[in-house]
Amino acid sequence: MTRDFDNPQVEIAWCPGCGNFGILRALKETLEELGYKPQQVVLVSGIGQAAKTPHYLKANVFNGLHGRSIPVAFAIKATRPELCVIAESGDGCMYGEGGNHFLHAIRRNPDITVLVHNNQVYGLTKGQASPTSEEGFTTKAQPWGNLAHPLNPLSLAISQGASFVARAFAGDIEGLKGILKRAITFRGFALVDILQPCVTFNRVNTYSWYQERVYYLGDDHNPHDQIAAFERSLEWGNRIPLGVFYMNPKPTYEEKIRERTLRQRNVFDTEVFTTILQKELSRFL
Amino acid sequence: MADYSMMIGGAAGQGVQTVSETLSTILTRSGYYVFSIESYESRIRGGHTFTLLRVGEKQLLGARRSLDVLVCLNEETYERHIHKVHPKGIVFGKVKDQLRGEDIRVFSMDFEGEALQLGNKIFANMVATGAVLAILGIPLQKAQEYLQEAFGKKGTEIVAKNEEALKRGAEIVANFGLEGKYPLPPYDPTPRYLVSGNEALGLGALLAGCTFYSAYPMTPSTGILNFLASRAQEYGLVIEQAEDEIAAINMAIGASYAGARAMTGTSGGGFCLMCEGLGLAAMTETPIVVVDAQRPGPSTGLPTRTAQGDLLFVIHASHDEFPRFVFAPKDPEEAVNTVIRAFNLAEKYQVPAIILSDQYLADTKWSYDVFSVQERPERPLLPNKVPKPYKRYALFPDGVSPRLFPGDEHLVVADSDEHDEFGHLTENLLIRKAMQEKRMKKLELMRQEMRFPFFIPGKDATLLGWGSTWGVLLETRRELQKKGKEIGILHFSDLYPLPRGLQELLAGLPTPVVVEHNFTGQLAMLLSRETLLAFPKRICRYDGLPFLVEELTEKVEEVLST
Repeated sequence: MTRDFDNPQVEIAWCPGCGNFGILRALKETLEELGYKPQQVVLVSGIGQAAKTPHYLKANVFNGLHGRSIPVAFAIKATRPELCVIAESGDGCMYGEGGNHFLHAIRRNPDITVLVHNNQVYGLTKGQASPTSEEGFTTKAQPWGNLAHPLNPLSLAISQGASFVARAFAGDIEGLKGILKRAITFRGFALVDILQPCVTFNRVNTYSWYQERVYYLGDDHNPHDQIAAFERSLEWGNRIPLGVFYMNPKPTYEEKIRERTLRQRNVFDTEVFTTILQKELSRFL
Repeated sequence: MADYSMMIGGAAGQGVQTVSETLSTILTRSGYYVFSIESYESRIRGGHTFTLLRVGEKQLLGARRSLDVLVCLNEETYERHIHKVHPKGIVFGKVKDQLRGEDIRVFSMDFEGEALQLGNKIFANMVATGAVLAILGIPLQKAQEYLQEAFGKKGTEIVAKNEEALKRGAEIVANFGLEGKYPLPPYDPTPRYLVSGNEALGLGALLAGCTFYSAYPMTPSTGILNFLASRAQEYGLVIEQAEDEIAAINMAIGASYAGARAMTGTSGGGFCLMCEGLGLAAMTETPIVVVDAQRPGPSTGLPTRTAQGDLLFVIHASHDEFPRFVFAPKDPEEAVNTVIRAFNLAEKYQVPAIILSDQYLADTKWSYDVFSVQERPERPLLPNKVPKPYKRYALFPDGVSPRLFPGDEHLVVADSDEHDEFGHLTENLLIRKAMQEKRMKKLELMRQEMRFPFFIPGKDATLLGWGSTWGVLLETRRELQKKGKEIGILHFSDLYPLPRGLQELLAGLPTPVVVEHNFTGQLAMLLSRETLLAFPKRICRYDGLPFLVEELTEKVEEVLST
């Protein structure tokens, strides 16, 4: 059965068994279950294997530059706040090339959802270390092992008071859908870091590696407590928590500019144009 | 014909720009023409900053070197500029006896000392303003109105103190017997407009229907951001200070994809960061307008000085080939019209449009009797019937596909990868070829939109220029006319793609001399490429300062004598 968000026309270029398949399915089902029509959704991506996702479902798509999905998504939302805007890309795109935009989007708090397919490796360029690769991770470009410490995107976002911070696992589609639903319906900047096994280039962080370690945060975790959320975000190794770490509802960028944008005028109307022109010119007398 | 040049100089923080702003406004409102150039350094306090202010009874299009009045808010101003004061000129300021020697042009005025008597040395600039107004024989009434307007918000006491300072300056001048020494004709009640390039670019965007402006602050483009921010509440504009120029251009592209008219502005260094985004606009065929307010480089260069070194850069910026528009307005009036036109054309052809400004255009104020805005914002009509599924990049004969916005019936797919007609990424090389041809095809249609350069024939030589040098070229032509030379002008505002039919015109020009603010003569190279003609005579200034009338006149004479 073809569903609203299915796009059978486009051939999928991912490796068999890729974690991206699970994320794609979860996203399609989530959007459908939330009652969206493809016309109401804009998927914005960068470059990388994860960034191809928008082409594989039916929606409005802006597949932009490597690392630059967030500024595009921000501006689409500011221009058309009625649309559901999702920025989606990999760890290299969002945290590496686009790291600066990621930081500043947290500050602006646009009502967009940021989905990061985090496989801790570069796929499209064939296997180099990513910003989230483990120290010592060996690749063709880092044969001596990755010398850098991995970035912790959750700790970073929580420390900056991001409005919604969650982690999911591509190997648990139902769990992922539950988190996606909460992220997309949350009003404000919502980050979902999705642990995604790369079956070709990451032989360390495999499905079974994750399955042995992941667990869901329980009721004992208070997602409104920034310090507690930060503490849980540091947990990594034998046990890796999933779920909503932090929620910090606050006015969104679009809410802050809403009153102002209602005053937009139609300058394409000759009368409006003339009125503005005369008023503005008189200010230069 | 009254025509006076004055310079007010001091350290940053002494309020030189306030003097300039105040004098320009008052003189314009009193019925005279003003042309004011700002020269400042990249610092908040100290250093050396000055305003070159020319006032006259006919429209002024450039600044002169020879000074009638030099106002020194500090001694450095005297040391740096005394040689520019002509033999019958006047110098005001606190200048040490050993420095001024027997120079009878110097009148000692202790601006800060006078200001301190009024309670604060910040009023020194208003004492200087009063002095200049008195020399020109301008009654203080207009000035008082302006002070109320400019300082009213700060309270009646501040206004009163500034008024007192103004009077004090005028009194001192009267005591020296210099009142009305450089008289202007009686007050002409015709209202005149006083507009800078940055204000004009901002106003153009507003009138073009631009509702989204994202930028990272960078001199000399920041004035556009400030202007649009000042109008944001009134007209509902979204103005965002981006984290960097990369974000700024990507935001503009996102807003445009979603349906807004969007613009970004920067200087050359920021434009370097935008190159990637420029290619994105081209590949996704998303119209945007980008202003590059040029300054000398490379790299950080001279932040507060002027240059025309980015012409060939912006024509070629970003990898591979794609069509774009490049304009360089000649003055603030044309700048308003150019921005509206740039938006219309960018949307009509779904390409990026670049507007080249520079520090000289950005900061210089021009006065006008009539400020004519002839361009009107026009949007291509959205196609009302489009087959499903919608092909964003449908291969139409002219290369322009019907453009829709997301949120309606059709899905809009845009891609930075090479893509098929639907917008989905493809590695089919036949489609690639067709898409590259589709995009490049627009260039010839765009060429038909470009306007012919401004042309005045002259039998002795022709000065070729582009962008902000138009005014000084005209003034130089007049100057040489007085010396019996007939100099023509060919000035370009539409630079890329160049209009057709230049070959014939350029081939017939007597002694072309290219005048540019760069080292190599980039317009000359562009024209050579287009016409296969050579333009060996070049006058290039690249020290960061604009051409002044006398200097350019001398240079032209020099070039013509060789």
